[in-house]
Amino acid sequence: MKRNALFISLIVLLAMTTLLPASLVYADGHCEFADETITIGGLAPLSAPGAVAGGVAMDWAFNQAADDINADCGVEIDGVNYQIDVVTGDSEGSPERGQAVTERLIQEDEVDAMVGVYHSAVGLATMGMLEANQIPTVFSEPWNDNVSANGIREFDGAPPRFEDGIDHIFRISPASSMVGSVVVDWLLSLGVDDVVLIVENTDYGQPAAADEAARFEAAGATVSKIDVELGTEDFVPILSRIQARAEAPDVIRILVTGETSFNLTQQMSELGIAPTEDTICVTNQFAFQSDQYWATVPDGNYCAFNRVGIIPSLFSDAAVELNAKYEEAWGDIIPSFAMASYDAVYILADAMERAGSSSDAAAIVGAIEATDLELSQGRYYFDYGAHNPDLPEDTPAFMWHQWPDPIVTVMQYYEQGQSGLEAAVVYPEVYQTHGTSYIVPGTSP
Amino acid sequence: MAFFKRFESTIDNGIGRRRFGYIVLGLIILFFLWFPNDSSQSNYAKTVFISGFFYAIMASSWALLAGIAGQFSFGHMAFMGIGAYVAGLIARDGIIFAMLGIAISPESISAIGAIIIGTLIAGLVGLVIGWLLLRLRSAYLALFTIAFSELFRIMMLTEYDYTGGSNGLSLRPLLQIADVDAARQVEYYLMFGLLIVCLLVMHWVANSPIGLFLRAMREDEDAASALGVNVVRYKILIFVFTSMIVGLAGAVFYSDVGSERIIPEQLEVLQMSLIIAYAVIGGMESLVGAAAGAFISRYLLEATREVVIALPFGLTMSDGSGAFVWETGAWRYALFGVIMVFTLRYMRNGLLHPIITWFSGRDLVMQETVSKRKSDDDYDDLLEAGDE
Repeated sequence: MKRNALFISLIVLLAMTTLLPASLVYADGHCEFADETITIGGLAPLSAPGAVAGGVAMDWAFNQAADDINADCGVEIDGVNYQIDVVTGDSEGSPERGQAVTERLIQEDEVDAMVGVYHSAVGLATMGMLEANQIPTVFSEPWNDNVSANGIREFDGAPPRFEDGIDHIFRISPASSMVGSVVVDWLLSLGVDDVVLIVENTDYGQPAAADEAARFEAAGATVSKIDVELGTEDFVPILSRIQARAEAPDVIRILVTGETSFNLTQQMSELGIAPTEDTICVTNQFAFQSDQYWATVPDGNYCAFNRVGIIPSLFSDAAVELNAKYEEAWGDIIPSFAMASYDAVYILADAMERAGSSSDAAAIVGAIEATDLELSQGRYYFDYGAHNPDLPEDTPAFMWHQWPDPIVTVMQYYEQGQSGLEAAVVYPEVYQTHGTSYIVPGTSP
Repeated sequence: MAFFKRFESTIDNGIGRRRFGYIVLGLIILFFLWFPNDSSQSNYAKTVFISGFFYAIMASSWALLAGIAGQFSFGHMAFMGIGAYVAGLIARDGIIFAMLGIAISPESISAIGAIIIGTLIAGLVGLVIGWLLLRLRSAYLALFTIAFSELFRIMMLTEYDYTGGSNGLSLRPLLQIADVDAARQVEYYLMFGLLIVCLLVMHWVANSPIGLFLRAMREDEDAASALGVNVVRYKILIFVFTSMIVGLAGAVFYSDVGSERIIPEQLEVLQMSLIIAYAVIGGMESLVGAAAGAFISRYLLEATREVVIALPFGLTMSDGSGAFVWETGAWRYALFGVIMVFTLRYMRNGLLHPIITWFSGRDLVMQETVSKRKSDDDYDDLLEAGDE
């Protein structure tokens, strides 16, 4: 009996060792692909003066999407499977270079569609060329309102869509105006009335500060604004001014980006200014990259921060899987624009399949307008386009070809070294993960 | 080498180097005139050339200011930006002369009008800065123009309500041609024409008595002044002149000829350092050398974005392709840095200087002078030997 069992085990093992490679071959070779590939152009900043880290993450996402689509038999058009190839061009964050590279992608690489971009200026500069060449495009990161509104050719008059009924540009990142009010609404709901804004002297910081200050003041709160230069490392003089106030402010809102915001947050913590029992600290979405955040802010600074993009508690299986791949590649949580860049390639592939063509721009645009697709960031659809051209009067123009549901939330760390994936969502209420709208530092929700 | 010697003597005994140089220059111009008509060239290639022409104007005008007049300014990109931003703002918002009660609406200002105003304002700002500053010497101008450039860039960045901040400012398009191919062709000739005109005007200035004064000032300001050259006046003159040249180039280039919008990042010191590098590589004391250096550098920076090395003997990469593709990314700038270091160490007059010198025949004059001095020295040695 024992001998028989051993014999059977050996047979099974032998079968497994021979069948396993065979099954792998099957998995690899189960798709018959056409010789031609569908080429999608990507545009991202891959060298200075552009935001290289962002561009590299986007490039990774474009290619990961192509790999995943190809592993799933590519794009099927009229019963034939086509592989997707993404060719990424380096915009260098400059409109001039972005335009040149877009032209190269269109003319020399003969791309069928485009995805990108990181910088709004590059998106604005390339839109005219993309329209003129009728390239279906899904933008995944630019925030400027005008990217999806009208092609921002100030001197062209009517937006392109009114000339031939087709507008080839879509956007799945939020417009700036959509991001605006969430943090202010949250703080006002907590009853703050003495606000200090620390603002970087750039066109991100200044308009954001003006917008938030106006909202606070309209609600009767007092606002003090302190400007800082990006790259500043020593904030002690500025923070000492806050410390010298007779009463601590209710909130310190940091409208400063990148490493500079980390330095500022750390020094606020070291000086015991915020967050404290009396003073709430709110920084921005960069804090979500928890490895970078805790490496620079090691002293347990439980600032709240706004997050653009899907929150971890709502991660679908697809989002979890994508995040795992990103973490394996880069050792950090996937940023929202990389998720959006990944989804953008999928939206195009899906539209081409439904349009039954990779080159009929009008058919692809029509198919994108009719998109109803669940991807890593949620369900994608477009309310307004040629399929539904009448924007209600109170709907801003940027909603044309704009995904209406990018999620904007306020999150908060409550343990030192916590992952961004574990941070609590405190606002809006509908997304709250710990049943509270603020976690007092030093307490657990 | 022997072939080159034979070739050299044929040219010297035939039409002469200078004439041969003109023929080569004519052929190069003919090539550039023919290039956009080559149906195998894409619009992308023309775009790269348009960008090359723009940077050629920037580098050659800087060569005139720094290489010939000896005024080391880092404000070139700022003046270019002034031309472009003023042209854009005026075309969008019009002009109001509050004191005179005159308002000119944007609709009544054409793209050309906006460019002219942008150019004049760049010159005017150059005049004010020059008047303030050019009484000072050497490092002060460099330091002040760095500060001025940064000041202007930050202004453009933070006054986003007017300038668009880092989203940039779109200028009124200079050309309104619907057909993309035809538009690119016209844009190409426009920028090439502007380069030729700028080079001719700068060449005229550099070879006029003004050019002599400028060189004299560069070599020794005190001596030039002692000989009657109004040093400050000529410094201001050349500063204003080059400011207008780059203001014009910027206003034209960003009027949708080379790019659809200008952003403050374009005015960074890093961009200025690239202009200086182009001029140094091409030859700071030669307008054509600096222009050629800029054009070639821009072309190479674009061409080396991706280096494809075909594998020999039928070898293939793991993906089955027969070539190794190196995405150079920022490395091409590192290579550019190496070329710059090499140039500064071994060929301070620029990589193109020997070629330009050969064509101009100046090396023959130098050889003659050296051999004459040598023979004079030999004669003196003989005399001394005789005395002994």
